[in-house]
Amino acid sequence: MKKKNFFGRLSGWVRRVFFGGSRDLADSIDVEEVVSPIGQIVRNFLERRLAVGAMIVVILMFLLVFFGPLFMPNYYDSYTEVTQKNVAPTMSMMKVPSGLKNDIKMIDSYGSFSVGLSNSGDVYVWGATQLGTTGIDISDIPEAVENDTICYVAAGIDHIIAISESGKVYGWGSNKHGQYITTDKEVLEQLEEAEESVSEEDQAILEEAGATTEDAESVEGEESADEEVSESSDETDVAASTAASAGENIIPMPDELVNGTIDVANIKKLVCGYQCTAILMNDGKLYIWGNANAYQNISSFVDKDDLTDIDFTLNYIVGITDAGTSIYTGKRGLYDQYRSNINEAGKSSKKFLGKRKIVSIYATNNHLCGMLSDGSLFFAGNFPSDSVAMPALHDGETIVQIEAGTYHYTALTSEGRVLSWGGSTLKQTDVPTKVDGKTAKVFAGAFQSYAVDSNGSLVGKWGLKGYLFGTDGYGADIFQRIIQGGKMTMTIGAVAVIISTIIGIVVGCLSGYFGGTVDIVLMRIAEVFAAIPFLPFALILSAVMAQMDISENKKIFILMCILGVLTWTGLARMVRGQVLVARENEYVTAAKAMGVKEGRIAFRHILPNIVSIIFVTLTLDFATCMLTESSLSYLGFGVTYPRPTWGNMLSGSNNSTIIKNYWWQWVFTSIFLAVTCICINIVGDTLRDVMDPKSDRDK
Amino acid sequence: MGKYVLKRIGYMLVVLVVLSFLLFLIYNLVPNNRAYTDAKADMAAQKTRLRNASDEEKDKMFDEMYLEYQRQYGTDTNNMAVRYLRWVGLMPNYYGKYSGLLQGDFGYSYELKDDVVNVVKEPMKNTIFINIFATILALGITIPLGIVCAVHKGSKGDQAMQVITIIGYSLPTFVTAILFVWIFCSLLGIFPPSGMKTPGSNYTGWKWFVDRMYYMALPLITMTFCSLGSMTRYVRASMIDALSLDCIRTARAKGVTEKAVIYSHAWRNALIPIVTLVVGWFLGIFGGSLIFETTFGINGMGKLMISSLRTQDFDVVILMQLFYVAISLIGNLIIDIVYGLVDPRVRVSA
Repeated sequence: MKKKNFFGRLSGWVRRVFFGGSRDLADSIDVEEVVSPIGQIVRNFLERRLAVGAMIVVILMFLLVFFGPLFMPNYYDSYTEVTQKNVAPTMSMMKVPSGLKNDIKMIDSYGSFSVGLSNSGDVYVWGATQLGTTGIDISDIPEAVENDTICYVAAGIDHIIAISESGKVYGWGSNKHGQYITTDKEVLEQLEEAEESVSEEDQAILEEAGATTEDAESVEGEESADEEVSESSDETDVAASTAASAGENIIPMPDELVNGTIDVANIKKLVCGYQCTAILMNDGKLYIWGNANAYQNISSFVDKDDLTDIDFTLNYIVGITDAGTSIYTGKRGLYDQYRSNINEAGKSSKKFLGKRKIVSIYATNNHLCGMLSDGSLFFAGNFPSDSVAMPALHDGETIVQIEAGTYHYTALTSEGRVLSWGGSTLKQTDVPTKVDGKTAKVFAGAFQSYAVDSNGSLVGKWGLKGYLFGTDGYGADIFQRIIQGGKMTMTIGAVAVIISTIIGIVVGCLSGYFGGTVDIVLMRIAEVFAAIPFLPFALILSAVMAQMDISENKKIFILMCILGVLTWTGLARMVRGQVLVARENEYVTAAKAMGVKEGRIAFRHILPNIVSIIFVTLTLDFATCMLTESSLSYLGFGVTYPRPTWGNMLSGSNNSTIIKNYWWQWVFTSIFLAVTCICINIVGDTLRDVMDPKSDRDK
Repeated sequence: MGKYVLKRIGYMLVVLVVLSFLLFLIYNLVPNNRAYTDAKADMAAQKTRLRNASDEEKDKMFDEMYLEYQRQYGTDTNNMAVRYLRWVGLMPNYYGKYSGLLQGDFGYSYELKDDVVNVVKEPMKNTIFINIFATILALGITIPLGIVCAVHKGSKGDQAMQVITIIGYSLPTFVTAILFVWIFCSLLGIFPPSGMKTPGSNYTGWKWFVDRMYYMALPLITMTFCSLGSMTRYVRASMIDALSLDCIRTARAKGVTEKAVIYSHAWRNALIPIVTLVVGWFLGIFGGSLIFETTFGINGMGKLMISSLRTQDFDVVILMQLFYVAISLIGNLIIDIVYGLVDPRVRVSA
């Protein structure tokens, strides 16, 4: 008996005085409490801390996976983004360094990192600065740059170009594709170091290649299944033979920039593209260099000297000539349909322009925006379906400044309003209201926008913060794919388990209850199924299915059925055994004597008594089915890309280069898969223990 | 005992026939026609000779060729039972020739341009070698571990082992493989991440063996680790059951040493479920080695099977599938026989 406090004792007396003391008496005699079997099970289960914790994790995982997708309206399976491939987990893509915050001169970005320049001429780099397998950290700003006063910076996908006040052109980052040529010892040393760290992997890759030449087909298959593999080996191939590839498809950096200086006062624009850089001078002279493979029309620009503006889309360089009547690309038919807003129909360029001239252009990855001589804007190119149209301007309001990111534009109007439009998938267009009226300048790059006031301090920033779990080889957010993939994995596991449970229960009940011929036939069938080697058989079935012409959803459903049909035998045998025992019980005899039909006895009287054991098997089988689905998808025979599951998200990691360099592509997915399976197994195991009346607690 | 074994063998054959028929049906679901491909290839080879032939003549010629190939391969009928019997080699084809599995004609690999038997030989050797090695390693570790855990049931060490083993058997094998590659290859740099031998080397004898072991070490370690969890738990559970038997109490009561109680009284009783498990597990790893072989780039059956599936080389696939089925059936037979040997009651009831 518990010791009661004073008030408890007092209330006890009062109660006994007025209502009699029978209940207290019963308590004091210490009669054993009667607990229902289910109550006992729950109580025993709750006593085990590990199991309760596991249960909570499983429930949380379920909630995350099934309700998480509701919070990701912009997600779709086949999302790819070239400039965001293999980005390490970071949330600092928009985190302007404190030194820069109140002294911003310019900010630029193209891929996963941003570069900023302060009014005092210092350079800052932030974001995901580790550049893939190259081993280069772009935030290691060369000392020469730190010591010099910089007045222009621009960022490409994996390099940064800076121009100092004295006209010296600096470059750092990757230079495998001719992004820059440098004589700076420090930069060269860093590149060498990076190469050394990569060369080990080269060795490994070469070994791998040597070992697999016997089986060229399978390697090919792997590569087509996974673009990353081919790409990373591509990159390292280039590294191994830098000398050989140099000059082939590269427009080299002009010699006068490498060794000499540039007339800073005369620079009109410095802009970086994918792996290219262009410097446009006021007199129309253009310096352009970089990877010619990235831009097909780069050769048309090399000796151009009548340009007034230039910018890079993803695949083309676009410019405006002195005439200003069309966009110069060096190719016919590119960007010659203009429209006054994104959601409006295009018109041919001559018709649209009339007598107006193009003054400047701002290019995103697949579309561009130009400003006309009368201050209005026009758009050209392909707009993805998620593009938000440009908000209407008030009467008499004009655009003062405009900047382009990877898919979006940010502009400042004459009334001090800040507008963002264009691609909205990564929140690029969510302009905070506080920036209106205070902003004097806007910067946009990649998926971020920054608003700066007249003192050069940051007023607001919006856009992509980063990726919690990084991105995969297609540039998709791994966190979102994990949630979506979890939904798929768990759904497949659940449906497969339900199918196998239904078959198992029906077969087990029938054969256990009726016995005789039915029993023999059903058990022989079960044995045939049990003799089927599981994984190979599932493989061959899904391979056969892949040959047939059926829709993706149907394939997934058939996959669930395959998993279900191949796993029911264990449960059927167990149910049969239990039914055999239960059949001899008195209540069954009683039911029989009362004339209850046989089928009803089997399913209504016996089944509820063996439900606990079914429940345990169901839990454990669920984990097994999830694992099997993952294994199949990992091997490339279950659910295939672009639909994510935890298994096929890991199939790209079947490669030591990725395992080492892109750790985030397998670590998080593995953790989710492993933790879910471990927790489900712990719950199932504990359930089995607590449901078994014979098992002692400490077993 | 003899009668019992015969009965089991007869039963096994029936299942084998049923399963192989099932497989054959699935195999025929694939829109992949050997006779058609061959006829097409022949037509292409004779292109120059048929330059002047009209389309009709070409069609006629193709049809003839197609029929001929179909007759040769025994697919000139839509009756699946007949086709199956021909495939097995129990029925002659159109020309009265028996050419099926029983005659040793296992088909032809179009991808590798060789008879399936030759294609499968080397990978099979590798797979069996790895699996047997991994089994020995795993048994050597798990059985003592399981026994120790059972004897010291409830101790700190046992509880820790329980958690470790549950993690071990819940981890998907490919995750373990990735993890181990990361630890041993990327971090420590001890083992090569994949492959069968040093590229370009041509060792023989002892040197060959050392090189082979160096490359096989990581897959073996991973395979062993993956099987530790479930095996240890199983051994422990059956050992606990055995230790709670009345005969154990009697043995202890009459003063038998603890060692003798554990290793001769309890262990013999725990053996029956363990035997089932060991054999079943040994069969399981043949299927499971699919994943290891792809991850580690081992030229084994699993890898061959997957590459054949990818290239739709179904003659190879079906033979390997049959091998897996046969292995699993033989395994079941072994389980039954060993049961009979270990547990006299089984023999009597059969």
